[in-house]
Amino acid sequence: MSPRVFVTGVGVVSSVGLGREAFFRALSSGASGISPVASFDASPLGRQNAGEVKDFDPRDHLSLGEQRRMGRCSAMALAAARMAVRDAELLPSHLVGPRTAVVLGTTMGEAQILAELEQEWILRGQKAVSRALIPRYGSTLLPIHVARALGASGMVLTLPAACAAGNYAIAFASDLIRAGRADIVVTGAAELLQELQFSGFVRLAAMAPDKCQPFDLNRQGLLLGEGAGLLILESEAHAARRGARLQAEVRSHGLSCDAYHITRPHPDAVGSTVAMRAAIERSGIAPADVDFVNAHGTGTRHNDLAEAKVVRDVFGDRRVPISSMKSMLGHCMGAASALEAIGCIFTIETGIYPPTIGYETPDPECDVEVVANVARRGKSDVVVNNSLAFGGYNAVTVFAKPGLLPPIPPPPSAEGA
Amino acid sequence: MTPRAVTGVGVASALGVGREAFFASYPGGGPAGREDRRVETFDASPYPNTRLAEVPAFDATKHLGDKGLRSLDRLAKLLVVASRLALHDAGLKRDGAWTPTTRPWPERAGIVVSNAYGSLEAITELDRVAVLEDARYINPSRFPLTVSNSAAGYVSIWEDLRAANVSVSDGNCGALDAVACADVLLDQARADALLVGGAEAMSEALFLAFHRLGAMGSSGDADGPFLGEGAAILTLERTSAATARGADILAEVVGYGTSFAAPEREGALVHATPVALEQAIALALGDAGIGAKDVDVVVSGVSGQRVFDEAELLAIERTLGGEVAVFAPKRVLGETLGAGGAMGMVAAIAHLQARPQAAGAPVARTATAPQPSSAWVRGALRSATRVAVVTSVGYYGNASALVMRGASR
Repeated sequence: MSPRVFVTGVGVVSSVGLGREAFFRALSSGASGISPVASFDASPLGRQNAGEVKDFDPRDHLSLGEQRRMGRCSAMALAAARMAVRDAELLPSHLVGPRTAVVLGTTMGEAQILAELEQEWILRGQKAVSRALIPRYGSTLLPIHVARALGASGMVLTLPAACAAGNYAIAFASDLIRAGRADIVVTGAAELLQELQFSGFVRLAAMAPDKCQPFDLNRQGLLLGEGAGLLILESEAHAARRGARLQAEVRSHGLSCDAYHITRPHPDAVGSTVAMRAAIERSGIAPADVDFVNAHGTGTRHNDLAEAKVVRDVFGDRRVPISSMKSMLGHCMGAASALEAIGCIFTIETGIYPPTIGYETPDPECDVEVVANVARRGKSDVVVNNSLAFGGYNAVTVFAKPGLLPPIPPPPSAEGA
Repeated sequence: MTPRAVTGVGVASALGVGREAFFASYPGGGPAGREDRRVETFDASPYPNTRLAEVPAFDATKHLGDKGLRSLDRLAKLLVVASRLALHDAGLKRDGAWTPTTRPWPERAGIVVSNAYGSLEAITELDRVAVLEDARYINPSRFPLTVSNSAAGYVSIWEDLRAANVSVSDGNCGALDAVACADVLLDQARADALLVGGAEAMSEALFLAFHRLGAMGSSGDADGPFLGEGAAILTLERTSAATARGADILAEVVGYGTSFAAPEREGALVHATPVALEQAIALALGDAGIGAKDVDVVVSGVSGQRVFDEAELLAIERTLGGEVAVFAPKRVLGETLGAGGAMGMVAAIAHLQARPQAAGAPVARTATAPQPSSAWVRGALRSATRVAVVTSVGYYGNASALVMRGASR
């Protein structure tokens, strides 16, 4: 029997607040983290709004040495990791050693450092490229910095799975525990708001003028965001040994690839449906057991249509409540599904579905039960976290109230375990 | 771990495209990384005495046809070519089509691939426009290439792989970690066949970074390190499934270990330490259920970067003894970063299949001293090579090790 996997701590750096309490309050009240971008001049691009994190100061969370050796993306990841460790009430002695792994998702990692290096090179030539800065670039570094700070010496791995990176990291981290290769995995994802990506989404005509309205008839696209969402995943045995508080069970997941187009989801949402069905089936439950879907919900025409189709195909006539946190946070790219996973923990703990704010006009083509504008209370035993990404990626994770469901079924292949 | 079968190899490296080109030259090598070759991927005139190892005269159209390649960058092209070769080599595809078997293929086949630095080619192209002209003019069709999983995404489209599509990043250790990741996915029955390995593409930005650090590519030093590029992909399956479909098993992966050791100095970031690799090798041997004396050959990540090489060789000596034969494919292929561990696995297969001897290339025992153009570092090969350990050491204190054994026939 594979070990069961539980979430025992969460840490958040987001545009609606730092840490569990602030984040949960914001999800309850439907707060918006959207504001005009301050870190660069977005005005030539004709867009100005994003879910930029304005009140994160690395000095509040990192030692001087740490501040010097890492960029802002790693700093957000490390700050969120420390919050998650505190939330889990883990002692340093629990984390030190080879049985603790750090598996993080991101799209671009330290994109700001790369941008600085490229600017130096393009404007002032190769000899102007800063030697001190080069080693601080690389998505490899996020988990390295976190592992070093926590004393972990197991696997350190970055999964750059674009906008599904958070779910990919959680999926792989939980399988790592199930396969017996780790007791604790510090996982989740971090992403920076950065000019190149901002320009890219504008040029793809995917960015809304000022608000993100997932599933709304008049939705005009996504807004970008940034942040870090980190979770402590722990094997049942390890959590029991130290008497940890179990926040949610990570049931299982489904990963698939459309094999269709590099940016657009498949119009029939085949791959996404396969991933969601697999996630539910491998969790040992039926679609009828799912109480709430934390949607990818980017607010682009293509995404929301595809996602609504998945929900209808998987859940049939039952109108399962669905909501997109991107209406509040913007699309935090790699970090999005990690923050949304923490949103799932919020729902499981509080029985509250976070709202899709800015929802005005239902779209008959997105005929799903949107939690519109105001948070709603409801059954919250099993929650599904959906995500899609560039590359045709689909990743779905399933969380459940601890102690409620029997152990997940073993892998279908007899030889698998 | 449960042994996993390698049933196919696809490789594009300084030795050429295809596993036969690799096996024919390894470990002797050839002109790879020599300074007298013209650099093909960028204008190297600002950099005197450039020394690097590109995939020579790489032309993706030879393998993929000339339609639909425009949106792909070099990284994606290298990876798609290696992936296609690995699927065909494994017999999972014939003439581009999935071969009929008992498994519902596209849905059960995926990819786990390592890459350290993404598409610096595309990022630089867009940054040039944004910095020198206007961000409003960047080419939207190149934008998707800036995410480092786009190459693996293109493989899924070109080869119709619909199971998990995973990109991993752990610097030089990434390709060995990709195998560990794939093992977990096979263990949990998330897929039945996975393309596993790594890819890294040469670009001026990549070269410039290492050049500025003085870490690579000065032609005065024949033993010195130089950058390489390429893609190495292995088809990995559960051994039972591979046997059941009658696949030719080239080798098996039987153990894995990884570890991280932080530097002692607060201000340090990049650091060389034998500690992490010692732990990784010990974990890998334990995972394989074998002892140090069972290891016939070590395919190391030794690249010519002195402090890292010393740490790696020390860790190998401490865990496996001073007599074991050690090879360093990077002396021939260059430092291929995210692809490095996978190139090492292909080299290990060459050793396990005794290909070097069969191909008439120099054998360690007959050489008197390591030659710069040979991958041999030290130690003597035994009469038969049954178990290989592949090692990788990262720049930040991370290290990984893999145990492979020859297919039992």
